[in-house]
Amino acid sequence: MRKAWRLRTLVLVAIAALLLAIWAFPVLWALLTSFKTERDVLAYPPTVIFEPTLRNYRDVLFGSASLLPNLLSSVIIAGASTLLTLLFAIPAAYALARLEFPGKRASGFYVLATQMLPPVGLIIPYYLVLQKIGALDTYAGLIVIYLTFSLPFAIWLMVSYFEDIPREMEEAALLDRAGRLRALWYVILPQARGGIAVTTIFVFLNAWNEFLFAVVLGGNRVRPVTVAMFNFISVEQTQWAKLAAGAMLAMAPVILLGLLAQRHIVKGLTVGAVKGGGRR
Amino acid sequence: MRVDLSMPWLGGFAGVDNYVKMGADPRFWNSLWLTLVYTLCTVVLQVALGLSLALLVLQIPRGQGALRIAAILPIVLAPVVVGLFWRTLVLAPDVGLVDVATRALGLGSHNWLGDPQLALVSVIAIHTWQWTPFAFLVILASLSSLPPDVFEAARIDRASAWQRFRHITLPLIRPALIIVVIMRTMIALSAFAAIFAATGGGPGTATEILNLYAYRTSFSELNLGYGAALAMVLLAITLLVSFVMFRVRRGR
Repeated sequence: MRKAWRLRTLVLVAIAALLLAIWAFPVLWALLTSFKTERDVLAYPPTVIFEPTLRNYRDVLFGSASLLPNLLSSVIIAGASTLLTLLFAIPAAYALARLEFPGKRASGFYVLATQMLPPVGLIIPYYLVLQKIGALDTYAGLIVIYLTFSLPFAIWLMVSYFEDIPREMEEAALLDRAGRLRALWYVILPQARGGIAVTTIFVFLNAWNEFLFAVVLGGNRVRPVTVAMFNFISVEQTQWAKLAAGAMLAMAPVILLGLLAQRHIVKGLTVGAVKGGGRR
Repeated sequence: MRVDLSMPWLGGFAGVDNYVKMGADPRFWNSLWLTLVYTLCTVVLQVALGLSLALLVLQIPRGQGALRIAAILPIVLAPVVVGLFWRTLVLAPDVGLVDVATRALGLGSHNWLGDPQLALVSVIAIHTWQWTPFAFLVILASLSSLPPDVFEAARIDRASAWQRFRHITLPLIRPALIIVVIMRTMIALSAFAAIFAATGGGPGTATEILNLYAYRTSFSELNLGYGAALAMVLLAITLLVSFVMFRVRRGR
């Protein structure tokens, strides 16, 4: 019995390790590339043995095309749009999951309408609107535009998590004369923290990696790191090593957020497991 | 109808001409078919793999955190770098990892992005690799918020693992599963960047899904009228599919 259990764990760990490798591999490769000289990058077939250099990171951090200001821009845009998204999406998702109101079905469906249009089709209207209100190439303008795609995404993801939660849990709170907002805050949010964490990660990630809108609607004063990295790609030659170093640098904040947020994914289970049915 | 960008006023109104033309356009039907195959394959693979992985990872006593972080890596890495990685390191003939593996297994060397049939498989593989983590994380979060006492009761009632999955787990995570399917279908229908970077729709029209056909028609062949008509068809399909899926979501 015990032996079978050990074998099972071993197989599970092996599969998990394989997955880890498949997903992490390109990142390791980019990490390796970021320490190569441009000549080593182009070696064919690709090499693993080379003389490592820190020049790419020096150029990317402190060179004439330093990415630091762009990183700051990205943090402002992705951070602000993520916070605003959560602020609006949590109550909206709660309403769609729990309340009854006229037009609920239709509004729920049309919330997703912007997700159905190919982004290329939205660029020109967005440009004209931002131009009219003088918000082109400003943080506020770009953040508002990002909300148009992050809000529908976040709302619907969270509706599905809120619907997972048994109604009885919150009915107990409502009977105790807690208002809807208190029930949301004290019952729903702790219970759905894993889902909220996942939503936060992907909202931030989508804003961080966004390219098309950032190029067209931002550009000079506001220039996130995804756009700035394209400086390393030109018609004549692409500086792959610097690009890789830039990509590693740009990954750092997202990984940091991921590290903080992913802990909550398992919390619901452990808390529930320890206290058992006592929570109800 | 052709809209000439330098002298657009010479055109005039085409009525439904563009849509009539579509019926007799084999390239349109080909792109429609590819869109269907691409969407169906990527969504089914992502959800099936993501769900299996989530169920598997929940069984692992320690180190789940590392896996959850590893899962976001393919999406965090800058898309240009991902494209380069696949083209030069994984799918390149002779030196690519996949080619090395198939030759070692005696399956011979193939041109993974150059051969028309393999190219479609390759772009589906790239999309699945990059976005399975999304399905994985969303489902994992849903699974871990389930009340454990329900499973306890089922286990005491001697329900088999499959019965527990089929009658307890699946209905409980249904909302999350369906929303993943809806979101990923919408993305797959209008997929662009990954295919564009890997094959550009080629070789020939082997990976030219509807969205790419619309793009090529509009911006390579500069036939804006027909390109816009193609984009409208894509929009109509997306709306219809999403609408049906929302109906399924509600019906319980």
